This record gives sequence, C-alpha cells and structure tokens, in this order.
Amino acid sequence: MNRLLPIIALALAPLAASAQAKPPAKCDWKTTDAWVKRQAEFFDDSKHDWSDDTLRTALLQAAGIGAALTAPVQLGVQVEGREQKLGASAAQMTDRLKALAAARGSKWPTKSVVGAAGVHAVYLLSQSDTGLARNILHRMMEAGPAESPAADVATFEDHMRLIWGRKQIYGTQFRLGAGGKIELSPMEDSAHADLRREDAGLPPLKIGICLAGT
Amino acid sequence: MTGQDLDGGIRMRKGFAIASLLCAATSLGAQVPADASATKRVSFANETVGKEPASFAPMVGSWVMSVDAGRKVLFIDGRVWKRGQPAGELADKARELYGARNEEFIESIKAFAYYPIAVYKGLDNFENGEISVRFQMIGGTLDRCAGILFNVKPNGDYLTVRYNGTEDNVVLWTFNNGVRKFVNRAPTLTPLELGTWHTLKISVHGTSLKSWLDDKPMHDYTLPGPVSGKIGVWSKTDSMIEFDDFTVAPAAK
Repeated sequence: MNRLLPIIALALAPLAASAQAKPPAKCDWKTTDAWVKRQAEFFDDSKHDWSDDTLRTALLQAAGIGAALTAPVQLGVQVEGREQKLGASAAQMTDRLKALAAARGSKWPTKSVVGAAGVHAVYLLSQSDTGLARNILHRMMEAGPAESPAADVATFEDHMRLIWGRKQIYGTQFRLGAGGKIELSPMEDSAHADLRREDAGLPPLKIGICLAGT
Repeated sequence: MTGQDLDGGIRMRKGFAIASLLCAATSLGAQVPADASATKRVSFANETVGKEPASFAPMVGSWVMSVDAGRKVLFIDGRVWKRGQPAGELADKARELYGARNEEFIESIKAFAYYPIAVYKGLDNFENGEISVRFQMIGGTLDRCAGILFNVKPNGDYLTVRYNGTEDNVVLWTFNNGVRKFVNRAPTLTPLELGTWHTLKISVHGTSLKSWLDDKPMHDYTLPGPVSGKIGVWSKTDSMIEFDDFTVAPAAK
C-alpha cells in the first residue's frame, strides 16, 4: 500500500476547539456566509433519504464520525504531517472501497446512496491510500455537485495534485516550513483562487490561511 | 487513422460515407493555404463588459464579456451551469442564425445543456481553413474545458476539438441527434497551469483535421465526411474559461 503523507483535515475538530480558544477576528466566518450556507444545504441529512443505511453506518464508523455533521464541515485546510484520526475499521472499509472502485457498474457510495455524511466519510477514508484516492477523486468528480460535496472535491483535488507533483489550485494544502511555521504549499493562479473557492463552497483564501496558522 | 476506427464508435451515416468517398480526392491533394485576405480576427474592444458578446451568439451557457489584465475577453461562467438553462433569448438567436429551421436547432441544443456553446456571427459557412483561439482556464470543479466549435448544422449537430484541464488532453467529440460521442483523443497529455494563456488551433482541409495546442501537434485525423457549417467556441458543465483572439482563416476549396 502506498501511504499518503499524513495529513489532517481541519474539518471537524477545529470547530470544537474554537470554543476554547477563539481565533483572530480575520479568521471568523458567519453562519450567514454563502459558503457556509451552501455546505449546510449539502450536508443536511435530516430527510434520511439515502438508500443504503448499512453501508452508511459502516462508513461513518470507519471514518470516525460519531455525531451529526454541522456546517461548515470542510474548511479546506489540510496541514501536511498531521494525522487524521480514523475509526478502528478504517483499513477494512478502505479495502471494501477498493473492491467497489475496481468493479465496473458497482453502486458507488454517493449522497443518494449513503447520505452527505457518508460521502464525507468516503473522502476522509480515501486519504489513507494513494491508489484508492485517485479512483475516489474521479468518482466524486463524475458524480457531480448534487452527489459529491464540492468543498471536499476541491480539497481532495489539491491534495492529489501535490502528490502528482503539480501545484494546488484552491489553496487548501499547507506544510510546515522553516522553524515549524505553517505555510501554503505551492499554488498556481492565486489571482483567481477566491473565484474557484467560492464556486467550491470554501471560505476566501485569506480565511483559510488564517485558520491554518491558528 | 480513419473515421471507422473510433474508440466508442462513431456511427457513419450513409450520406456521410458517400460524402467521404466524394471528397477523398480533395483530402489526398495538396492542402490549400488559408486566404490571408479572408482572415477574420475577432476583436472584443468594442464589446461591453458584463454583457453578452455582440460578435458571438451564446446558445447554451452564460457567456459574458469580462476583463483580464485590462483586456476584454469572452468568459464562460460555468457557475451558472447548475441552473441548466440555455442562454437567454435562445429562440431569437436561433432564428437569426437559421431562420425557419430554428426550432430544430433549439430542440437539439437543449439536449446539450451540459455543453455551453457560442456561435460566431461573422462567418456563415466554414469548410476549409484554420480556426484558432486563445484561452485561459480560471476554474471548474468538474471540468475545465476550452474548445473550438465547428461543423455546426441547422439541426444542432456539431464537432468540437477541446482541451480539458481536468484530463490534460485534447479530444475530438461529435454531437449528433442529441448524442455526444468520443471520436479521437490526441496521444499527448499536456498539463496546463490555470491562469495562463494558451492557444488551441485546428485546420480543416477536406476530410483532414489537424489540431495544435500551443503549436504542438495534437490531432492528425481523417473525418468521415467534409466539414460545412457555422463555427464558434465550446465548453463544458462548470468550466470557467476566458477566450480571446478567436481567428478564422478560411481557405479556398
């Protein structure tokens, strides 16, 4: 297995942490911000309208998602070298996803199959294996914005581009620079970054950079 | 390579097959250079930023004039794609382009809502010659497509050679009777950076189709039949692309 560089998605934990240490004002967002509302709309699983509850439950357990997700779920801040905590069954579920990805015509876990939280779990699990990640990214892109969370897809694509030796395009990937300072990983076309981030339902780049440093 | 050995299979119509035989002599003969005096290079200088272009008829998608580094450019804003609507005043534009056959065109175009197109108003019929356009990828989560549209028929059928920044490739697609089909992929993968300008070019001589990306040869392909129809620019789903310097140099038959 080709392990990816350990990363952390500052997707869930930082929100809990923010109650303890309030980030600087420039890192702030409002629940009325368009990108937060967009994520809230996508991650609203209150209708329970997914088709495979068994698979959803297994995915959530494997990804270590223990509670209902509340927006914003994806802040688009991944820092190289920090571990993402997954559930005990992560390896088993990763193998299952690999088999699904390899089988033509298989029922891939999209939002209509496992709900929004289930798709986010697939995204979190995908980070543990390069081969699987590539497959899953393509599956998520193909599924389209109604079935895949755009903010996850954008963060995921940036992550994979760096692995492929290219520059990121959304500005979601960070690394530890000299003296342990967190810095933005190489990026192309930063001039239009906020246009892309807005389209993907991510906060403006300055907020992302601010959050990465807190 | 011929039109019959296609990945995915292009269905040759009888008429197309006959036409390809008739024009075989043309494609075998020496290629006629583009007529410099007939070359049309679209200037956006007099266009209004924020409005649809006057020189193109946007049929699907949100095509608006924008500014890049102080220069007016044509922008396809794929963020609007999620609404899945053809461009505004589609019926009027179709009537302007195709008169009485506009309804047939509209029905076909509506089937292609995933594929924004803007038809160039300055040339009624392109058969032979060169078409080029500069483009800059700005974004798109699903696709980052910039294409040259040609062989646009009154019933909405067309061909396109496009670059897709999510796949790094140049591909020829055909759209017939509401069905999109892969025709031929250029063998070279070419990753391009977002926010940088590049040039896509095609040349058509009889059934010979060639394409270039930044002067690098991409396609050398034999179409099943000759080209005849309107031309323009093409994109896909949520692509955000800026276009500039659309140039067509028709060649004598």
